[in-house]
Amino acid sequence: MLTLIKIEIYKIFKKWRTYISFIAIGVLIPIIHIAMMIEGEHSIDYMTRNLKQSFIFVGNLLNGYLISYVILNSLVVHIPFLIALVAGDLLAGEATAGTYRIIITRPVSRFKIICSKFFAGIFYTNLLVLFLAVMSLGLGILIFGTGELIVLKSSGIIIFERGDVFWRFLAAYAFASLSMSVVAGLAFLFSSLVENAIGPIVSTMAIIIIFIIISAINVEFFQSIRPYLFTTYMNSWRLLFDNPLNLKEILESALILLSHSAIFFAATVYIFNKKDILS
Amino acid sequence: MRKIILVFLILTGVLFPQKRDPDIILRKLLEKFDNVEDYQVDVRIKVDVEFIKAPESKAKIYFKQPDKIHIQSETFALIPKDGLDFSPSGLLGKKYTSIYEKDDTIDGNKVSVIKIIPLGEGNVILTTLFIDSDESLIRKLETTTKSEGTFSINLKYKPNAEYPLPSEMIFSFDMEGLNLPPGISGELNSDSQEKLKKERNKPVRGKVYISYSNYKVNQGIPDEIFNEPLK
Repeated sequence: MLTLIKIEIYKIFKKWRTYISFIAIGVLIPIIHIAMMIEGEHSIDYMTRNLKQSFIFVGNLLNGYLISYVILNSLVVHIPFLIALVAGDLLAGEATAGTYRIIITRPVSRFKIICSKFFAGIFYTNLLVLFLAVMSLGLGILIFGTGELIVLKSSGIIIFERGDVFWRFLAAYAFASLSMSVVAGLAFLFSSLVENAIGPIVSTMAIIIIFIIISAINVEFFQSIRPYLFTTYMNSWRLLFDNPLNLKEILESALILLSHSAIFFAATVYIFNKKDILS
Repeated sequence: MRKIILVFLILTGVLFPQKRDPDIILRKLLEKFDNVEDYQVDVRIKVDVEFIKAPESKAKIYFKQPDKIHIQSETFALIPKDGLDFSPSGLLGKKYTSIYEKDDTIDGNKVSVIKIIPLGEGNVILTTLFIDSDESLIRKLETTTKSEGTFSINLKYKPNAEYPLPSEMIFSFDMEGLNLPPGISGELNSDSQEKLKKERNKPVRGKVYISYSNYKVNQGIPDEIFNEPLK
């Protein structure tokens, strides 16, 4: 099984499109860092302008932690596309290349093939989130240093001590990996349905965008269906930047995301096992 | 006849006590504080404000007469602007009118309540000083401003301290809404934004507790320190 996964990972990284995601993050994040170097202080001043009428702020609020937090906020909208780009190609790519028959005629069960492809996809997803973490947090700390993290929430302003932030980021990136694994699972499911990778990529993104728009529209009907949309829980990493922590809600969100991944995987296994390979 | 005059004097003394002269009390206060040329002190700051959760922080404050002040902190610190300079020279540096109001008691200490009305343009409308006239110390002050609502400062001192410098301060304020914008590290979904809109205009009350320790008084502080940026 491990050999199969290794082969699938090798196949993923043999494709040029896999590196598009890493290049995109590798270019985008330094640009954000440069923008924050130029405009960051101004943004913080704007954010705290009323508070500054009464209080003097001493210390470094523009630090690597704040920038990582800003970058992580954009995760739900942009990174899923980079995940779908590879996960959507895992099965459909075989159909496009006409290699389905070759892999299926090998003495390996369809379940094992699906498992190896799925875990290779999850490996890629986690590696991308890890790369994002290293680029945003690592580079951020290197350029701006550490400091206290200021977070603006609906419940107010929370300022975290610098010693209380790093572990929250580690947990938040782990949670982000889980969220992105759901996206990978969805793209993988669509990938089993078609024979061209464009369809799964576009469908996955369409679903995420539709769900996000539904969540954003402040109509009672849409608000009532929000709890049933997996995108609602993709932002739950933010709960890790709360004081006190709502562990119950964090675990619930993590379980819901895990269940979605499991359901998408099970559906893919079912579809692939029943699939009539014609190409 | 002598007896009648004596009874009359006693009665007028009791019924119409002579009002204290606020200028004398304020002058004594200034004279006592003028013994402090400069000081540096370590402070611990605890913020207890609705809508803000901030950890306890430490900082170092430098002061030099008449009103030079500088703060240094290795961690992030949120310090009330109006509570930073409690020196009488800072409070009474501009033109003002003073009115003696009454005598009162704060924490068992007799105080004279004096109202200070600044003359000319400025943010402060009225300041009420509660001055311990025996020791020439400010025990409390209440200020009403044009733009930042009302705040009060309670000061505590170590007994028999050589200088009129506090060991503890409680800064209480009552501000209009913080009017926080959806910031760069804000939440994106509409639910949170709605909540934020409701919360942002609510009046904010809070207290900031500052404890002072390790005073170094009149040891000379170079002027360059006060030109350094806040850090």
